[in-house]
Amino acid sequence: MKIQRYEDMGAMELDIIREIASIGTGYAATSLASMLGSEVRMTIPEINLLGYSETIDKMGDPEECIAAVLTQMSGDVEGIMLFLLRLDFINEVLGKMLGKTVDSYEEMTEMEISVLTELGNIIISSYANAISQLAGIRIKLSVPGVSVNMLGGILTVPMAEFGYVTDKLLLIDGQLLVNQKRLNSTLLMLPEMESLNVLMQKLGAVYEG
Amino acid sequence: MRDEVKIGIGDMKVLRQQGTLITYALGSCIGITLYDPVIKLGGLLHIMLPKAGDQGAATPFKFADTGIREMIRKMAAYGGVTRRYVCKIAGGAQMFQMTGPIGNIGERNIASVRQELAAQQIRIQGEDVGKNYARTMLMDVSTGTVRVRTMGRNEIIL
Repeated sequence: MKIQRYEDMGAMELDIIREIASIGTGYAATSLASMLGSEVRMTIPEINLLGYSETIDKMGDPEECIAAVLTQMSGDVEGIMLFLLRLDFINEVLGKMLGKTVDSYEEMTEMEISVLTELGNIIISSYANAISQLAGIRIKLSVPGVSVNMLGGILTVPMAEFGYVTDKLLLIDGQLLVNQKRLNSTLLMLPEMESLNVLMQKLGAVYEG
Repeated sequence: MRDEVKIGIGDMKVLRQQGTLITYALGSCIGITLYDPVIKLGGLLHIMLPKAGDQGAATPFKFADTGIREMIRKMAAYGGVTRRYVCKIAGGAQMFQMTGPIGNIGERNIASVRQELAAQQIRIQGEDVGKNYARTMLMDVSTGTVRVRTMGRNEIIL
């Protein structure tokens, strides 16, 4: 079945996406673990199809400050990967990698921000690599962009990107747990519609055996 | 009395006499306020994309061109007069320093808003646009004062 709108997806399609996301998040967790030298676990990815305002409500307060790393996917799968980090997660990482922590987002200098960007880049790349290997497709990632600002403003970027195609966003959301602690980080994959069909085609067949 | 009316993405609301219109965390989106001081009528529009193309009918407020036209039409129904409007705009930031269409959506939004307002012969009397940070925009309808809130900076009055 070809998906014309996100709303058309049935239980089987959602299962396939959840499977893809689990594998991607798993690889991301592994690479984070090797960078931090800590145990990293993951939650089972959640799949949500939400309108713009609902998306922001789900992710938090629109005016709340957050750090985000964004990469654009192109090639066989197009879309956006967005890695959102909150202060507790940032401090866990900075503590391990730089031996220091910060009290607020404003305190971060170029050094801290570049560490986070690189970390985000590696995590996103592991995620995308896992999917491309699994499906035998090619995914190209853009140079990552970073932003430390209001959550609402950051989320409008993927919304504007898909705004001409859909009024809803498909959020594929996995969380990473470091040393059993539920630290605040979210890895979002936002595939474009046509790419979703590519993934289904490649993986649906495998899935059904 | 409704104190504060929240405007979501791709939406527009109108208030008369009193209350506050507010839209949170404009990133690449743009907030546009129109205020008719004679009858204390205020409207706040939150657009996301520059041009509607053929999609304007279903969701006019999502786009700069159809949004501004529909806003003027709605406000006229409340007695607003176009030549009296005080117009202010905020937003159109580049949240991520990236090249390509993701990078310049804010810029394209600003250009389209300016173009449509000029076509409607409305002059922009205050603005805080571009740069790389999100903005929350509020209008006090009893006075027409428009304020912009950002992270780590002082609130400004447009």
